[in-house]
Amino acid sequence: MTVEKKKRAISRLKSMYPLRALVDGMYKKAVEASKNGEPVAWCMVNWWAGDTVLQAMGVHTVHPEDYGAVCAAFGAAQPYLDRSDSEGFPSHMCGYARNCLGYAALMQDLGEIPPEAPMAGMPKPTLLLGSGYFCDTRYKWFQALGRYLDAPMWVLEMPHPGVPESRIEGNREHNIRFLVEELRELIGFLEKQLDRKMDYVRLGEIVDDTIEMNRVWHEVNELRKARPCPMHSRDFWSSMPASLYMASDPRVTAGLYRDMYDEVKSRVDNHTGAVPEEKYRVAFAELPPWHSLGFFNQLAERGWNFVIESWAYHPPKPVDLSGLSDPLERIAGLTYQYFSGYFEDAFQAGDGWGYFAHPYLEMVREYRCDGILLHPLLTCRTATNHLTVVQNQLMEQLKVPSLVVEGDIVDLNLFNPAEALRKAETFEETMQHYRAVRKEAGFDW
Amino acid sequence: MTAYYLGIDIGSRTSKGVVTGDGRLLACHVLPSGVNYRAAAEKLREALLGKIGLSVSDIAATVATGQGAGNVPFPNEPVTDIRCCARGINGVFPAARTIIDVQAQSSQVIRLNGSGLVTGFVVSEKCAAGSGRFMEVIANVLQVELKDIGPLSLKSKNPVAFSTGCAVFGESEAVSRVAEGSAVEDILAGVHQALADKISALVDRVGMETDCALSGGGGLDTGLIRAVEAKLGVRMLVPPQPQIITALGAAIMAEETRGGH
Repeated sequence: MTVEKKKRAISRLKSMYPLRALVDGMYKKAVEASKNGEPVAWCMVNWWAGDTVLQAMGVHTVHPEDYGAVCAAFGAAQPYLDRSDSEGFPSHMCGYARNCLGYAALMQDLGEIPPEAPMAGMPKPTLLLGSGYFCDTRYKWFQALGRYLDAPMWVLEMPHPGVPESRIEGNREHNIRFLVEELRELIGFLEKQLDRKMDYVRLGEIVDDTIEMNRVWHEVNELRKARPCPMHSRDFWSSMPASLYMASDPRVTAGLYRDMYDEVKSRVDNHTGAVPEEKYRVAFAELPPWHSLGFFNQLAERGWNFVIESWAYHPPKPVDLSGLSDPLERIAGLTYQYFSGYFEDAFQAGDGWGYFAHPYLEMVREYRCDGILLHPLLTCRTATNHLTVVQNQLMEQLKVPSLVVEGDIVDLNLFNPAEALRKAETFEETMQHYRAVRKEAGFDW
Repeated sequence: MTAYYLGIDIGSRTSKGVVTGDGRLLACHVLPSGVNYRAAAEKLREALLGKIGLSVSDIAATVATGQGAGNVPFPNEPVTDIRCCARGINGVFPAARTIIDVQAQSSQVIRLNGSGLVTGFVVSEKCAAGSGRFMEVIANVLQVELKDIGPLSLKSKNPVAFSTGCAVFGESEAVSRVAEGSAVEDILAGVHQALADKISALVDRVGMETDCALSGGGGLDTGLIRAVEAKLGVRMLVPPQPQIITALGAAIMAEETRGGH
């Protein structure tokens, strides 16, 4: 008797797997490095500014924010969350931070990596690289880690260019000078801690490769405007950490993104979609429920293709930095571009209602979305507080409806997949209704 | 020859069913869901068919909805309760554009167009605030029959200000008000105002367009209806049997899928 193999609702990209493997490899390499006495840093996401410097200094990196997502996706986060709670950290605190603090407390008890830790685990760090940018938890998170880890910490401050004041003349140059100075101080700290000197030639290579890596990754995502969309958000989320967390030598990563570009382009040329029958083109905001990604398979079975997701996890829009001879200026320029490039439309439109929300208008318009799934994170204000504005503006300006499904990135208890599916089924009727409304209003999708 | 359609709504507290034929409501029935949704669905169908002397083979199509829809053991098309509720209200009040659906465990606000299609909605998830369960909890504390809470509430001259709409904290707050000597009708009126505040917050999220209808078990509570009307400043359209509206919508959808009326 033959058993027919059920076809997967989402056609995953083959080129995604090597990129995902880079992230797996990042943890394994860090653990090996730690055993060999090589330096390992726990880093907050730093938009390439710190990671390039650390990589050039020969420091292996792991990112507790990514590791929170890994633990959630492996269904392994609950013991760390429980431990964080029992340590007295509030349960409404960032899921990534709770996961990390619980993990660190457990590692302190055991004197080694917890045996159940997914992938290879995070080894005891030589140093910590923090940053206050983007969210309030990050100001105190690594400081709190001091209860469990004896490791020096550096806080890499970053400019905040995504505000109306960044239109003031000279602001860009001022911000880049500020970040370059911050990076020089970080290098001084690292040279002292590690007793080794920065190789600026190597740093220049890494920076250029990082810029190229992000350019190719951006081009991959541009291809997703095709109908049917050739790449689902699940492939984006699986491939994103390779760039965002600098999981490997960026030259290697850029090569893998080129492979992905070729595969996605081939799908575009052959009109092959990521779901068999693309009935609804949907955008996603903010971070997904990492613990329940199977939910997207159920939606794919209903013809939902997630064609684009939050700009905040995308690479910067391409920018020419070749005229800058100092590698620190180039990397500062790239990071600045990340924090400003997505807001150009908002500033030019003179909208005062929230620059964080404005890029979604461009996303939804350019990727021809029928709707957007908003995922307010009950433990993350940064990823949540702009979503109501997104919902209102998409409806007012583009007649595109939003589906709100509350949840969390790490804590499974805060997400109800059955309720989410019930809402999604109803939302299909709403998306169909607004197709007709947009048509009547003169929109072309 | 008349074709008959069955709408089944298996809710968390009560199960509701209707039979329609030729576009008319022919029979309805309500019973407690209990813990066995399969058995509740079977009993519901049996009672409905018995009321109008039909057999299973007379039913052309069935739509099941509600929390227990997945447990209905006989052939059916599952449809979400939000869609069914919109169709049900549209069948009764075609001019309705906003529905406040107060169920046992949650409340939802639904926007709909003239065809009964859902154009927007919001659900009070993860919280029983603003739901019928809250009223049950308070009625239990006050030792009042559920059917009496509406009329009693309307007698209030001095509603107690409730600081919460939470079903858990509301219970202890009600106990405190009883201990302080507040009148039962004033406590009930205060609870209704707290519920109306929660419902109003939901309405704000999805927007309101008149006509506005109120469905679900909450529609049996005149105190709640008056409180919501006062809060929103509009008159509520309330169907004669508000708790069966979602089942009615299910039957209407069953009829639509078969090309009936």
